[in-house]
Amino acid sequence: MSSLALLGLLLGGAVRDTSAQARPWIRWSAQAITAWGGADPVPGGGRLDEIRMVQPVVMVRAGWGPRFSLLGTLDLEGLTLPDGELTMGGWGEGFVDRRHPHTYAHELLLTGNDLLGRADGPARFSLTVGKGFAPFGTDDPMSRPALRFPVNHHLAQILERAVAIAAFRRGAVTAEAGLFNGDEPERPGQWPRIGRFGDSWSGRLTGAPTPGLELQGSYALVHSPEHRPGAGTDQDKWSASARWERRIGGHPLYGLVEWARTSEAGGFFVFHSFLAEGAWTVGRHRLHYRFERTERPEEERISNFRSRRPHLENSILGTTRWTIHSLGYALGGLEVGGVRLEPLGEVSAGSIVRVDSGLFDVATLYGDHRFWSWSLGVRLAAGGGMHRMGRYGAAAEAVDSREHRHDMGVR
Amino acid sequence: MSGFWRTGARAGLLWLSAGCGGGSGDGGSGPVDPPPNLLGLTVAGGGDNVPDRYTSDLWVHGGYAYTGTWGGFSRNGNAGNVLKIWSLAAAGAPELVDSLVVPLIATVSDLEVSADGTVLLFSAEGGPNAGIFLHDLGNPRRPVLLDSVQVNGGVHTATLGEIGGRRYVFAARNPPDPALLIFDVTDPGNITPAATVSIPPSYGIHDTFVRDGLAFVFAWNTGVIIFDVGNGIAGGSPAAPAELSRLVTDAAGVSAGPAVHNGWWFHNPVTHEARYLFIGQEGPGVIGAQSSGDIHVVDVSDLRHPVEVARFHLAGAGTHNFWIDEANQILYAAYYNQGVIALDVSGTLSGDLADRLVGHLLPGGPGDTYTWGVQLAGGSLYASDMLSGLWQIGIAP
Repeated sequence: MSSLALLGLLLGGAVRDTSAQARPWIRWSAQAITAWGGADPVPGGGRLDEIRMVQPVVMVRAGWGPRFSLLGTLDLEGLTLPDGELTMGGWGEGFVDRRHPHTYAHELLLTGNDLLGRADGPARFSLTVGKGFAPFGTDDPMSRPALRFPVNHHLAQILERAVAIAAFRRGAVTAEAGLFNGDEPERPGQWPRIGRFGDSWSGRLTGAPTPGLELQGSYALVHSPEHRPGAGTDQDKWSASARWERRIGGHPLYGLVEWARTSEAGGFFVFHSFLAEGAWTVGRHRLHYRFERTERPEEERISNFRSRRPHLENSILGTTRWTIHSLGYALGGLEVGGVRLEPLGEVSAGSIVRVDSGLFDVATLYGDHRFWSWSLGVRLAAGGGMHRMGRYGAAAEAVDSREHRHDMGVR
Repeated sequence: MSGFWRTGARAGLLWLSAGCGGGSGDGGSGPVDPPPNLLGLTVAGGGDNVPDRYTSDLWVHGGYAYTGTWGGFSRNGNAGNVLKIWSLAAAGAPELVDSLVVPLIATVSDLEVSADGTVLLFSAEGGPNAGIFLHDLGNPRRPVLLDSVQVNGGVHTATLGEIGGRRYVFAARNPPDPALLIFDVTDPGNITPAATVSIPPSYGIHDTFVRDGLAFVFAWNTGVIIFDVGNGIAGGSPAAPAELSRLVTDAAGVSAGPAVHNGWWFHNPVTHEARYLFIGQEGPGVIGAQSSGDIHVVDVSDLRHPVEVARFHLAGAGTHNFWIDEANQILYAAYYNQGVIALDVSGTLSGDLADRLVGHLLPGGPGDTYTWGVQLAGGSLYASDMLSGLWQIGIAP
């Protein structure tokens, strides 16, 4: 493919340019969360509890000098939660009310940084190729304070695609553009359908007008995300967000407000999301809170937690709106043998309403319009902190230049 | 009602329709005119008679009708695992006489009674027993299972075809491995596989229309595929179908693509032509409320080179299954949230067929209509509606 060949040439050039002064480097980190979680009611009615290991990931960042870097995130959820994580409202990749397991190769990306050197003055230009996030929307929920994934995961992020991303940063402004394959994964061991590379694209503009504040706007056109051979409907996606992270009185404070909209099948289906979340850390203690109001499609299910894949047609049963408040606490500063231990707990209360018409009926499926969910567990972590997943090259450098760590406090 | 009388009435109605300026459009900014009902479609009987489940397909034969149930979402806690059996009164009104529960399926997806009235065929989706089922209709009120075949992924539709003195079932196997399955059911107590034809997984195969030894396979975004299965034109047989041609119809502005779903090869007794193939496009929808997709007309005069020649669009709704009153050259189509429509399909068809609309009815009324299928039988039109059950519709001049 010509675009890939061009990228390879540019990346090769970057390596040659820096070989004389380059030195290899590597950083790593790892984490896993073992948690007891539950929800009441769940599909079919009644309460369900389970103990799971979620987000077991190993992250490696390596490079050769400053220009050439490799990022890999190994996600083992395919082994620890093959049936997904109980998450009322969660959906995507054939799972409903359970958050899908990520693919084993969550991120695997090669980046050429500052490829134009002094030619573009103080600006920075990078190219990234591999498997990861398309330049769209906000950070992956795994790298944010709340344990519970938001309902809007598939409205606000485009993950685990074969991507080629150009990023350009000048001062406080970063522009990214990416090509990728539209198909989302169907199972943890699956790779992107490389023949579909380039059938989808996205662009993101990020600005940092004041220290600690980051504004983002992005658009994506995604071809047939839910049907791997490509016969499904297309999505137009918009995202806008404001992210704030600073220390106030010596205490880390984080906040995010985001809006997302996905229009599918030429506007036949439209789903909106608004989310606001924050975290405040005092010493070893961190409190976090999230409010979310997100619409999702209600598909025909083949069981309580799975929808029909592959699709047979383009009909849905209706649209629901999920309004959820989540409150959580984490205790940091504990370490045993180089492994950090972070006890944490989170409780969510939500309501579900049907939007517009269709056969779907909330009470029929759940028995109630309101639900509770809870998690109590411990995060085990070693190595460095988790990076903000979804930004690479010049876009990641912009983040690094503004923030020393992305730990939002206690991690 | 005699065919002669109805043809004359239809001609007069069409003259009125043309004189009044024909159909309405939805492309302008003004209010949309209600569709005309020049054919006088009216509710004659039935309706609101399946409150326990969502209704799927129908078939009417003699004094009985059979309807399936759909289980994509439970209604009153019930799955779509029931075959409803109806007796038709002297005037044609349906009365429920029995319900046959089929274990370990989720939906009865398609129905047909053999032309001689001896065998009931239905297909099923969801659950380990999904596949095809044949029942004996020696007592039409009490179908007795003859044989069944389980099919992985389930069967979306199944159609009977008589070829070379033998009887076959043409079944549409669902993804993940979509295929046209052909079974020899000449002995209905012994379903025998005859052929499997893989269909590209662009949502696969949805329906098949069999006539004169040809099988028209409606294969979503792959389009329509025409097979010789015994016609002789290409040496095909039920055991070895020979592809004649395929055509991808126009997407007609539907973002999901051609979405070729169902069809009917029209044999016009007036012109003695078998020129037109009508194709239903099933666009995106919200089941029970919204739908999209047009009726496409393909000229198959040259079966090896089909050409799309005309299209019918109804604002705010999409089409589903057809039935054609060939003697009177009227196509009836289920139109989901817009109920039932009737199109005049006489003469030459070309371009926009908006002014061919001669009948329209929401049998359950607004908000209680989502019509799956239609069939003309005994002078009445029968409609199966997912929300409001089985209806008898009168056709009055």
